[in-house]
Amino acid sequence: MAYRRPPTKAQLRRQRMEALVNYPLDWLEERSGLVGGVRYFLFRKVPGDVNWMQTLGSAALTAFIVQAVTGVILAMYYKPTPNEAYRSIQNITDHVTLGWLVRGMHRWGASVFIILMFLHMGRVFLFGAYKYPRELNWIVGVLILVLGMMEGFTGYLLPWDQTAYWATVVGINLNGTAPFLGPFIAQFLRAGQEIGADTLTRFYSLHMMLIPGGIIALIGLHLYLVVRLGVTSPPWSKEAAGMALADEEPQPLRPGLTRPVPRGIAAARPEAGGSK
Amino acid sequence: MAAAPQRHAGVKPSRLEEARAQFARYKEDVKERGKPFYPYAMFHDTVMSLVVVSVIVGLAAIWKWTSYGPHHDGTHQGLLGPEYTAPADPGTTSFVPRPDWYFYFLFYLLRIFKWPESVFLGTVGVPTICLILLFALPFIDVRRERRLLHRPVAVVAAALTILSMAVLTWKGATAKEALASEVIADVPNWVKAEKLPQNAVPGARLFATAGCTACHTYLGTGSSNLGAPDLTQIGTRNLGIDFQIRHLKCPSCVVPGSPMPKFESLGEERLRQLAIFLEASKGKQ
Ligand code: HEC
Ligand code: HEM
Repeated sequence: MAYRRPPTKAQLRRQRMEALVNYPLDWLEERSGLVGGVRYFLFRKVPGDVNWMQTLGSAALTAFIVQAVTGVILAMYYKPTPNEAYRSIQNITDHVTLGWLVRGMHRWGASVFIILMFLHMGRVFLFGAYKYPRELNWIVGVLILVLGMMEGFTGYLLPWDQTAYWATVVGINLNGTAPFLGPFIAQFLRAGQEIGADTLTRFYSLHMMLIPGGIIALIGLHLYLVVRLGVTSPPWSKEAAGMALADEEPQPLRPGLTRPVPRGIAAARPEAGGSK
Repeated sequence: MAAAPQRHAGVKPSRLEEARAQFARYKEDVKERGKPFYPYAMFHDTVMSLVVVSVIVGLAAIWKWTSYGPHHDGTHQGLLGPEYTAPADPGTTSFVPRPDWYFYFLFYLLRIFKWPESVFLGTVGVPTICLILLFALPFIDVRRERRLLHRPVAVVAAALTILSMAVLTWKGATAKEALASEVIADVPNWVKAEKLPQNAVPGARLFATAGCTACHTYLGTGSSNLGAPDLTQIGTRNLGIDFQIRHLKCPSCVVPGSPMPKFESLGEERLRQLAIFLEASKGKQ
């Protein structure tokens, strides 16, 4: 124990290898702190009882990433003019190598994305996870949902086929029926008196730049808040984080009648029969 | 175990104090008893993401393989619908306005309300109220309680919301479409029932094929949409040929806020035929 052997050649070589591998990471960490950030993100603690329903948020994120990647590829072949849009869509679907796959994934990924957002929202509701201090994250979530639906609306026109065209005609007219702002919104979307070339480029720009940009920024904020505030334990969990005291004491049906008035946080909770 | 918040005898802590104390306890519990995100939660997330991507690829493949074949192009109706329909044509004579499925609930909502008294409720009123309620949820439901059995109002509200969304989406998906090929078969009946004069027949044909019946009903044919009125007796209002043509050319110029599309592209000749037909429609004779 007392005598320390000098390191063997093999050990020395290994030490040098490790330093070499770590060098880029150390370099990055020293100059940006990013490695520490990623490490914090990965090794942060989450409640021990998180369950499968809590993967719906990251599932929605995956669907969004699929939309972003396939969307960029589609944009390489798609031409946003009334004369060429339809033919470029035909070309992507029928001729470009794996074009059908990319377009199909984008088309159906949109539906999957919307479904996952609704399911995720349902799970947040079920868990009561929108309550203090996560109110703001709920609002960010609803904004993402609205923007996601707007992506669906603007993307629908782009194939410039009959379904696309007439659904958009009616959609824009409906926006126009709103009081005060309606006519302005309709005018803005149409980019003129008639649905035509300018409408198509406007929808294209909204669909691939403005709205996705907004969604990406909001997802960033959403995830920041998730990491900062932590995720909620399932409400039925016996060891739900933060519920320790409430769970120790059984909740009487009518406090004071059949059982003694509870102490601790259960006592402070608004009594049974409260609203919502 | 975290201690209960200190307070003076008889003074209930405010709701916010209670919430803060609970959140502090939450943070402590997670620190003590939680598990690291990687690899535990991350493993679940990864499995789920793989499932999501597989489902998307699967849908894309079904779309392709059931609508594509040696004898037809992408307009063929596969299991998941055609890959594209005919090219957009602003001057077409028949179309079925249909949004993507996740707008069906809005789309069907519009059939419930009638123009002009309440259609506004369907287009903006109800959706706006629902959206405001959705945003405001955390401020309406401020109790700490999260267990479902202790949140009866929330559970009932959620169940009703899901049910009504499902019903509206289902109704929107199965709503009867007025197909031009079927509507045209009714034209002779119209002529007989309404005793239409000979010069109104071309207009009746146009009416049957130009997509009007996607929104309007006529002697029970067509589907009522966007609250558009029944036109069986439109002629009894004696609006006049000129008015009809002006309205068809640009409905929203004549009836402010009208969601009916412009039919200017049909051309003066055909618009006149339509107008003659409309003015001749005096109801069942
Ligand atoms: C997208 C739905 C839609 C389509 C398609 C449609 N309409 Fe309409 N129509 C409406 C709505 C909504 C109104 C009520 C508002 C208005 O008067 O403009 C209406 C009103 C009318 C009126 C009554 C005007 C009045 O003053 O009462 C006539 C006549 C009419 N449409 C004829 C037609 C004809 C003919 C066609 C086919 C060429 C047609 N519509 C296609 C939605 C539609
Ligand atoms: C692009 C869409 C969305 C993405 C990528 C996303 C992502 C995430 C992720 C990864 C989490 C972590 C926990 C989990 O996965 O359940 C989360 C939590 C959360 N999300 Fe979302 N989300 C989206 C949309 C929404 C919507 C539409 C809402 C509600 C209106 C919402 C409200 C919340 C809330 C309140 C939390 C905290 C939950 C808790 O603490 O348990 N999100 N989100």
